[in-house]
Amino acid sequence: MNMISLTNISKSFHVGKASQFVAVNDVSLDIEPGKVTILKGPSGSGKTTLMTLIGCMARPTSGRIVLSGMRAAWMASEEPAGVEITSLPERFLNDIRRRTFGFVFQQFNLLKGISVLENVMLPAYPTGEDHREFAKRAGVLLEQFSIARHASSPVEWLSGGELQRVAIARALINDPSVIIADEPTAHLDTALSREFMTIVGTLKKAGKTILIASHDPIVFDSPLADRVVEMRDGVITSSGPKP
Amino acid sequence: MILHPAVLSLMTMSLLAGIMVLLAGAVGVRILFSWNIKSGSELQLSLERQTYLVSTILAYTFVFQILSLFLYIYTADNLHGLFVGAMCAAGTLNVNEYGYPVLLLKIVNFLLAGTWLIVNYADTRGYDYPLIRAKYALLLLIAPLVLFEAYEQYRYFSGLHADIITSCCGALFSQDTRNISGDIAALPARPMAIAFFAAMTATLVSGHLFYWKGRGGWLFSAVSLVAFLVGVASLISFISLYIYELPTHHCPFCCLQEEYGYIGYALYATLLGGAVTGLGTGVLMPWRNRGSMKQVIPQLQRTLTLVTVILYLLFTLIVLYRIKFSALTLGW
Repeated sequence: MNMISLTNISKSFHVGKASQFVAVNDVSLDIEPGKVTILKGPSGSGKTTLMTLIGCMARPTSGRIVLSGMRAAWMASEEPAGVEITSLPERFLNDIRRRTFGFVFQQFNLLKGISVLENVMLPAYPTGEDHREFAKRAGVLLEQFSIARHASSPVEWLSGGELQRVAIARALINDPSVIIADEPTAHLDTALSREFMTIVGTLKKAGKTILIASHDPIVFDSPLADRVVEMRDGVITSSGPKP
Repeated sequence: MILHPAVLSLMTMSLLAGIMVLLAGAVGVRILFSWNIKSGSELQLSLERQTYLVSTILAYTFVFQILSLFLYIYTADNLHGLFVGAMCAAGTLNVNEYGYPVLLLKIVNFLLAGTWLIVNYADTRGYDYPLIRAKYALLLLIAPLVLFEAYEQYRYFSGLHADIITSCCGALFSQDTRNISGDIAALPARPMAIAFFAAMTATLVSGHLFYWKGRGGWLFSAVSLVAFLVGVASLISFISLYIYELPTHHCPFCCLQEEYGYIGYALYATLLGGAVTGLGTGVLMPWRNRGSMKQVIPQLQRTLTLVTVILYLLFTLIVLYRIKFSALTLGW
């Protein structure tokens, strides 16, 4: 299991210009493996930026992020386990992003015009894995989330709740150890938000590390949340008790 | 200056290459002095991002640098009709005192740029920038040479005037000429042929040993470099005689002409290509068993060794073919 350790992470945009903006400022944090960690804070507090940095989708301006205990296939055998992700060249970073992290976005970001099954399988294509293998896995995920009957339907035919489940299935296709969800309940009603948290409970039981950015009380007040980290203006104002 | 399209292309290419190595050199200096992979400082992360861009741009720059050697020779050959006395590139390069130094610089930069590309390739396969300092140290060695070459090339082309009388290759590469080209041309054919085939055999044997047993990497690299130098000398000393079927014509440039089936391009491409890959094999030796390079360099070196052996073998086969089917018979 990988603990994610952030050390003095800062992220600035438009560096050196009059419009320079510090989105994340000197954040240090340890995210426990197999637990649900919630990043709570108002819009513009830096939650999403911090999650994109953890999920290898952007690089920080300064600071380091380490996935402790992780051993990638391309690491030398005598190297101690653990990968420092912020210095990794792009090709290795892609590999980590695809295999370690699953993403659930606020707008779900599903591709219109292609089927539910193809949407779910999409993150598996660049891994080079055998198509039959991940197609089989996608079928199992669709069954698990009760949307198998929509497998061949275009995603635009689906309801909000079904879209959410497709997005979660897609996040799980590469069997990642960490699930990152950015405001996953922002566009859902109460019932669907609770359904989402039920799925989170299932994933937690399966041993996944879950990181959710949200300012929805259904999420951060949930008994499933092991730790609530509060952010404001790019800094952590309360890191909550460690689980 | 003669405003020939190839001249303008070479001048533009060298200007761009000069600017690129200057900019990359500035980043290289910062990397050499400030790189610290353990640090998460803003400077370190900025250098990590910059090195992607710089490496990519330089890789393209050096590919053009490598190609510019052949374009330079082609241009010199193409322009020889404009100068009284010139019969091929040899005469054009002799029009002023910069022609041959530029050629020499281009050959040196060809080898260095090719080596840099190999080091860069290996470095980008490691997850922890294992060769970053070596890569930029090598760049700082190449950068002044590329700039000097651009300057000398400008002086050469700006000094080309159609009314200049120059010497032909028969005079420049004659056994009686008292300069380095004359001295090489005067090397006795038989000992040179023995040295040539011995050098190529030594490369093949040491390459075989390194490829299959993983032993003798340094030796293979050194032997391939010696084979390159012996190959160049042999080309002038005795191979040229079989190509031209004349016992006294040692020109290394006439073979680039249509009359000889452009065989010179095949000879130079295989010889220079083999020298670069052989040199690259040796340059990578210090990192062969280090960290992330353990899984990359041994395999890369095997590929480079194979390429070197194949290219030198091709060179030798072309030479043997010319010797076998040449109308010239030397009384050895």
